Amino acid sequence: MRIVIAEDDALLREGLALLLRAESLDVVATAEDAAAFLDAVDAERPDVAIVDVRMPPTHTDEGIIAAVEARRRLPGLAVLVLSAYVEQAFATDLLAQGSARLGYLLKERVGRVEEFLEALHRVAEGGTAIDPEVVAQLLTRSRPDARLERLSPRERDVLALMAEGLGNAAIAERLVVSDGAVHKHIRSIFAKLDLPPTDRTDRRVAAVLHFLENARRQTP
Amino acid sequence: MVVSHDRPADGRPGRRQGVAVRARTALDALEHLIGGLGTALLALLATLWLALTTAACLLGVGLRLLPSALHAVRAVADRERGRLSRWGPEIVGPAPPPDGLRAMLGDRAVRREVRWVVTHAVLGLFLGLVGATLPLSAAHDVTFPLYWSALPESEAASSVGWWTVRDWPGAMAVSGIGVALVGVVVLCAPALARLQAWPGRRLLSPDAGTDLVLRVAELTATRAAALDAHVTELRRVERALHDGTQNRIVAVTVLLGAARRALARDPEEAAALLDRAQDAAEQALTELRAVVRGILPPVLADRSLPDALTALAAGCPVPCRVDADMPVRCPAAVEATAYFAVAEGLTNIARHSGAGQARVAVRAAGGLLHVEVRDDGHGGADEHGGTGLTGIRRRVEAHDGTLELASPPGGPTTLKVTLPCGS
Repeated sequence: MRIVIAEDDALLREGLALLLRAESLDVVATAEDAAAFLDAVDAERPDVAIVDVRMPPTHTDEGIIAAVEARRRLPGLAVLVLSAYVEQAFATDLLAQGSARLGYLLKERVGRVEEFLEALHRVAEGGTAIDPEVVAQLLTRSRPDARLERLSPRERDVLALMAEGLGNAAIAERLVVSDGAVHKHIRSIFAKLDLPPTDRTDRRVAAVLHFLENARRQTP
Repeated sequence: MVVSHDRPADGRPGRRQGVAVRARTALDALEHLIGGLGTALLALLATLWLALTTAACLLGVGLRLLPSALHAVRAVADRERGRLSRWGPEIVGPAPPPDGLRAMLGDRAVRREVRWVVTHAVLGLFLGLVGATLPLSAAHDVTFPLYWSALPESEAASSVGWWTVRDWPGAMAVSGIGVALVGVVVLCAPALARLQAWPGRRLLSPDAGTDLVLRVAELTATRAAALDAHVTELRRVERALHDGTQNRIVAVTVLLGAARRALARDPEEAAALLDRAQDAAEQALTELRAVVRGILPPVLADRSLPDALTALAAGCPVPCRVDADMPVRCPAAVEATAYFAVAEGLTNIARHSGAGQARVAVRAAGGLLHVEVRDDGHGGADEHGGTGLTGIRRRVEAHDGTLELASPPGGPTTLKVTLPCGS
């Protein structure tokens, strides 16, 4: 797996590279701003880009813009965006082009190395990684939605993990239940939310996120 | 809105100094009373003229004369405005009176001046006469024993009594009355002077209505600037925390995570990672301290502004002297603004001025905090050269203060900041 890192903070950039190299991952380039990042993408044609949202010169959303541009230049590039705080608008901007090969995580998740590596692999293999914090915000804001009210507490847990981008096996492992039980919960959730049933993880994540996003918009 | 600033500007002087200050205050007050006597005599003339023309109006011949009487009132009022402005807050005169008798009589400022001129002609004249005769009577009585025997018997009397003095004990008693009169002068003169000035300060200052409109506009503007400065400040702090401190701490967790993974593979590698994690944690602490200092310097919170400025000056590479005269503390926000203004001034001196020495002067007096940063460098400093001073100016103006930068080519450069002390 060939990786490019775009992060303006030198210490964090080197720390990330060190961590990934120690895991025998191939960090082919590091960049300290959007322009250098796009040059590195053109030159190295990586599989995955890890991008900080806030970079010079304005420290606002350079990372998001650069990530969108990088995917335009190199279709199929997996992008994992790291953010200092959860910003719903950034997540929505990113997910506007579909959730495949996309990740949006809080920076501090990197310290939980196993989970971070799992999210990185998931994104690289075509999946999705959405920060639990983002999902929690989506769920909290859409509380008055009548269809969500119909879910059992267990089903809400499964829905949240689905929205994060986890597959059936990973959800079963997190909740310490059998694959079969997860499968049953998911069928029930799709029925209660009036969503067309699907077994493909990426479509499933997109459908769930889309549902939550719509529910949030309709909330006064 | 008139705010009175005419109280003694001292702290707590010793007893002897106290007597000197009181004597000084009493003399000033006598001077004001006698000055007021002058304008009161003019006011009396203007009042008589006004009364005559009004009476003539009843007879049908005074209408042409009334405007001239009102102009005379305005002239006397302007004289009083000038006099009061010399020893208290400035009183700004109104716009010239409108043409035409009807419009003139409808003008609020003119009507208030008429009320003042009558009051001053009576009350001001009476108080002025008291102010003039009291000290003369006191002098007459105190020195009475020196010359009473030379007086004809009918005139040998105290200035306030009516008995005739025929012997030494009587003369000494009169002298005692004189001393008492001196005491009365010292105690009462300041109050009498204030009382004499009061109608003028009330009736001759700009009409409360117009004044408030100006004040509201001014406050709206400074409040917007305050909010603006506040938002800029918050954004700076947010950025320092998110892009500085938080990144350090994330780096710590990344390195700790990596160390934990390395522990099983290679303990030595893990130890190296832990070392780096510790370095990153220490950097985080250093940055956190800098951020906190940028919000409110601890030395300013715990000690005083002069102490905080001395600490700043000690850290300045250009030799710097601090002169502080601050008997009282100002509100924390005002002191912090003064502190950051000096910090910015000293940073600029160190970076650009080429100065051999610098001087910081801070003085709190009359409800204002004056701060001056001066250097002997080559001058030519420009406020718009960087963002630093512009930010300071916004902060200062948000507190209703002023900032002046004088930096002619060849030097010296002077940065002057004046802030209301919020009292």
